[in-house]
Amino acid sequence: MPAYIARRLAMAVGTVLAAVVISFLLVHSADGSPGAVALGPSGTPEAIAAKNHELGWDRPLVTQFVDYLGHLVRGDLGTSLIDNRSIATDLATRLPVTGFIALFATLLSGVVGVVVGVTAAVRGGRFGKAITSSSGVALSLPAFWVGILLVYVISLQLGWLPATGYVNFTDDPVGWFQSLVLPVLTLAVGGAAIVARTANAGMRDALGQEHIRTLRALGTPPWRIRYVHALRYASVPVVSVLGIQFIALFGGSVIIENLFALPGLGQASQAAVSAHDFPALIGVVVVATVVVVVTNLLLDLLVAALDPKVRAA
Amino acid sequence: MTAAAVSPPAQTTTPALEVRDLVVRYGSGRKARNAAPAVDGVSFDIAPGETLGLVGESGSGKSTIGKAVLGLQKVTAGTVRLHGQDVTAMSLKQRSRTVADLRVVFQDPYSSLNPARTIGQTLVEPLRLLGVRGPDAAQRARAALASVGLPPDAADRYPAQFSGGQRQRIAIARALVCDPKVVVLDEPVSALDLSTQATVLNLLADLRDQRGLSFLFIAHDLGVVRFLSQRTVVLYRGQVMEAGPADAVGEQPRHPYTVALTAAAPVPRPAEQAARRAARESAGFGTAGAAAPSATGCPFVPRCPLATDVCVQQRPPLRPVGDSRAACHHADRVPSL
Amino acid sequence: MSVLPLPDADTIAAEAAPTEPVPPAQRRRGVPGFLRRPGGALGAAWLVVVVVASFTAPLWRPYAVDEQDLDHRLALPSGAHLLGTDPTGRDVLSRIATAGAEPLLSAALTVLVAFAIGLPLALIAAERGKRVEQVISRVTEVFLALPSTIILLALIGVIGSRMYIVMAALGVLISAAVYRVMLGVAQSVRQRLYVDAARVNGLGSLRVNVVHVLPSMATVIAVQAAQLFGIGLLINAGLAFLGFGPSEPQPSWGFMIQDASKHIYDDPWLLVPTGLVLALTVVAANELADALAGKAAGRDERPRARRRAPLRTAAAAAAPADPANVLEVRDLSVSVDGGPQLVSGVSFALRPGRVLGLVGESGCGKTMTARSLLGLLPDGVSVSGGVILWQGRDLADLPEKELNAVRGREIAMISQEPMVALDPMFSVEYQLVQPIRRFRGAGRGEARRIAAELLRNVGIVDAERVLASHPHQLSGGMAQRVAIALALTGEPKLLVADEPTTALDVTVQAEILSLLRALVRDTGLSVVVVSHDLGVVADICDDVAVMYAGAVVESGTAAGVLDEPAHPYAMALLAANPHVPAGEPVPVRLASIAGTVPPPGSWPTGCRFAGRCQFAQQQCTTPFPALPAHGDGTVLCIRAAELSGARWGAVAVGAETVPAPAASTLTPPTPPLPTAGASR
Repeated sequence: MPAYIARRLAMAVGTVLAAVVISFLLVHSADGSPGAVALGPSGTPEAIAAKNHELGWDRPLVTQFVDYLGHLVRGDLGTSLIDNRSIATDLATRLPVTGFIALFATLLSGVVGVVVGVTAAVRGGRFGKAITSSSGVALSLPAFWVGILLVYVISLQLGWLPATGYVNFTDDPVGWFQSLVLPVLTLAVGGAAIVARTANAGMRDALGQEHIRTLRALGTPPWRIRYVHALRYASVPVVSVLGIQFIALFGGSVIIENLFALPGLGQASQAAVSAHDFPALIGVVVVATVVVVVTNLLLDLLVAALDPKVRAA
Repeated sequence: MTAAAVSPPAQTTTPALEVRDLVVRYGSGRKARNAAPAVDGVSFDIAPGETLGLVGESGSGKSTIGKAVLGLQKVTAGTVRLHGQDVTAMSLKQRSRTVADLRVVFQDPYSSLNPARTIGQTLVEPLRLLGVRGPDAAQRARAALASVGLPPDAADRYPAQFSGGQRQRIAIARALVCDPKVVVLDEPVSALDLSTQATVLNLLADLRDQRGLSFLFIAHDLGVVRFLSQRTVVLYRGQVMEAGPADAVGEQPRHPYTVALTAAAPVPRPAEQAARRAARESAGFGTAGAAAPSATGCPFVPRCPLATDVCVQQRPPLRPVGDSRAACHHADRVPSL
Repeated sequence: MSVLPLPDADTIAAEAAPTEPVPPAQRRRGVPGFLRRPGGALGAAWLVVVVVASFTAPLWRPYAVDEQDLDHRLALPSGAHLLGTDPTGRDVLSRIATAGAEPLLSAALTVLVAFAIGLPLALIAAERGKRVEQVISRVTEVFLALPSTIILLALIGVIGSRMYIVMAALGVLISAAVYRVMLGVAQSVRQRLYVDAARVNGLGSLRVNVVHVLPSMATVIAVQAAQLFGIGLLINAGLAFLGFGPSEPQPSWGFMIQDASKHIYDDPWLLVPTGLVLALTVVAANELADALAGKAAGRDERPRARRRAPLRTAAAAAAPADPANVLEVRDLSVSVDGGPQLVSGVSFALRPGRVLGLVGESGCGKTMTARSLLGLLPDGVSVSGGVILWQGRDLADLPEKELNAVRGREIAMISQEPMVALDPMFSVEYQLVQPIRRFRGAGRGEARRIAAELLRNVGIVDAERVLASHPHQLSGGMAQRVAIALALTGEPKLLVADEPTTALDVTVQAEILSLLRALVRDTGLSVVVVSHDLGVVADICDDVAVMYAGAVVESGTAAGVLDEPAHPYAMALLAANPHVPAGEPVPVRLASIAGTVPPPGSWPTGCRFAGRCQFAQQQCTTPFPALPAHGDGTVLCIRAAELSGARWGAVAVGAETVPAPAASTLTPPTPPLPTAGASR
């Protein structure tokens, strides 16, 4: 078990490092330079060079990288080329928006997906068929399109919720919650479909296992066979898929934030991309990776708690 | 039986297969170095035309030895010689070019034939590598099918159309199509039903006698091994416990483990089996897997009713006892079991 | 695949494990399987339509993409504009069709790049062994954990909206997922022995992969490719939605939806055409993937205990049960629902404290017979006739709920594979304590004490350690002991043991047999043992029923049947056994039986063994009743009296294995299950 945790931790650190390296290399292979971005079209080549020197852009790549890592460890992500604000501070206010959307969407996908998938596996027949078919469709729908349709139906036609915009939790908890409902629902449609499929397949696989026959031969009550033994067996692939889903939903929320006008990481990255704000780009990648990695680490621990074989490994 | 040698083959002829001090360890790193090797210093010879039976239970290393001989498993130490030529370090491709006469029949007839290829394609494949092509190859494939009792038109069919016994005969045909001298038989009948098993065993005996083949016959069943082999090697946890003429090992075991193995195999005669069971239960063999053996001594110590301190401390060497050789400090007391 | 070549045809209706990669199907002419499923056919058809329409759009589109019809802005569908117009009056149909080529091509590029990297890596990792595999796997795990959408955005920030490069980069990121799936498949294919056989033949690494490994992976590759194609489309459209796609006036699906989202107040229709085309294309790709994987939407395989077909022949239950028997089975038949019989007219009786052996080769129906005693037949198989008399009740006629009360409490079962018979997720203690509490109404502490005692009773010395273990920590012999302890939790009167020692080493088998024998002696338990091994039967059984092709051909005391077999099949099985009793010489040649067991559905009339029998005559092909033998037993051979004392001879050397000029020994390929119908 300690070896397992150590290995996972090492993987997590490795992943963050990889993200830093990839984004660092990406930015440094770009045509432009931060000086050109900061000064805009008015900057003369001399001024740009001077600005680049000031930013340390002309130092050797390795020096810059080590320097960046040093700052990163202290939580310093540099300053924006556009408005000179601290990137870390900016992202810190944005992270909860994206984080809560992804978290709620994952939780909702998990709960709905497991209930639906397990019910389909246990009941079978027409119900199972209908669930399998409709989940196949649901996981194929583009989330941003689903989002617009939801806005159209729930906000415009039914008038239940605000269409777009974000309310701070500290300002108005209810408004905050309401502003998250549609984005979360949007992302959960596809997420729940994928979880439902995994739970369904896992449950069927579990119910076909030899040890289930042992339990039946012992006259174990059907509910116990299904919801204690088979479900525990099926939970391992479901938790794994939840981890993958969180990564996907975190990325997906970038697009959804644009649609719902939410001040999250997605908006920040979109702005950074459009403005070629290099330090902000790296910052977004790093923060997103850290969140994803930490979440997956927690899920790995959950898998270990569920599966004795993983614990032993 | 052309070479029903009772004792190890005379030193004048080069053995068809010679295995010396074979050691195989799985994995790498500290953990693997501390674990007991899968095969631990095993040596044996097979004379031309002779069948050697390699018997043991799961974890005895018998299949690993087969794989090492075939070149499918990396050898940690020791040598494998084919007709006197050292093939230990040769890649499979080099082997096929220089000594193309070592072939194999595996246990599971269901996964040993590629379901997507016809029997003909399967049989011709090794011939193509030897440069035999076209009608010649097809002719040899048909001949190989005939030698295992299958009609020529079987070549056009897919494996799914054959029963387990028939597939195993096809696997034998694939092994024989290149006229090898040595064939490794890795549990060739374990997956088959009794009546089919008998057919395949009879066929193997015929082919050996007709073609003077040498077999390395790997099995977990002493009875089956006795039917086909002239000599038997008994393995336990990667080490040779006993080696000798098949009849001697079967009738007068010289190692306590061989006794346990023989006594445990049930015979289909209720009265005799009752007597055997009583004898086995009174011999006092320990439960399998209850305790780990010591690293320095005999691996059978935890289950052996004859074990003493010397067995824990010293690994017994293989030494002549009667007609066989046994690795037991107390071989002289074995007949009392 | 035909059902019959399964290693054990007793498992006839059991589902093949869905995780195993599917071997390529027999090359059949005609429509490939995935196109015969509605999802596959529709999906493929839609993809063809979209691809053709997109790439030929310049040839047929009614308007140029930037042609504005300012009089008809935001128009609904009409004759002039089949799908309406956008906010600047451009034709939506023309724009959708024109926009299609870019996402289709770039999604294909993503798939291509992902496979070009992931597949070779997987093949290499599967071939080179653990070390290489671990290095590659660790690296790909890092890639899998990266938030790919955000990294793609960063890439766009650096290189701009060069979508083919961006989508190729997505392919690089996704290749990690391809590697993961392909590695599992490649590893399991490489474990197949034909790969080893080809390597022994000297086939080079490349050829082994191309000829033997890749074809077996084809289905999984196709499934994965179709799914990734759908993901590629979605991400491509998502980026275009954010404005990082082809720039105006070039149309893109994503940006057209973005455009439409600004007009949901005044023209919601605008959302429909583009969104639907995009969604349907992704749905089509996924449906195609499902069809390729052989998953017809919601294939019905309910894990439900449907024990009996509605059409059960009126039971031959008239005669009351013999009170001396604990169990009486009369004229039992088991059939595939709407299919052939697997077991027909089987009768046997068991007295208390005795052990009955059901013996025969695989495919003879012995496991089905045993499982029907507990009503645990596989889905789609049910008791179709006869009675199972147990404690004054007919188990074959009991409702599921009452039957469930019998299971474990009165009749328990142990199965062939001890390692998979225990739940891998729970400790031994949990698995034992839970039924003990249910059966014996004991409290937690009391149940734990009983569990430890049961383990000691089955010969486990360190019961405490084993209680704390999980099944994967036990050896096969230990696991079987735990399984036996589990079966004893309800203090049953009858134990059904299905090949209880087949998966075990011979010395462990001897230990387990001794344990079972001691249990019978000490507790008065009755046992039904299923075995193919006559030695096991001789060791533990008091009575024997020899089964062949779904019927009992000979029954009686173990000593009677094994020492003086009356049926030629029993004689043949004994003669084929290579285990010689002490002192007897090893035979030069073993007896064998030509041909194979006829599969259910093609049993001949009269004696089912006649086709393979050395003693068969004309009279054997007409039906005849069983004759008494071995005291209480029976024999199903019309020549039994004449053959008394006969021996099944060894077949002559050439006759069986070398093709005789006249009659080939090849049995015709066994027909698929539901055909033929010579049986009753």
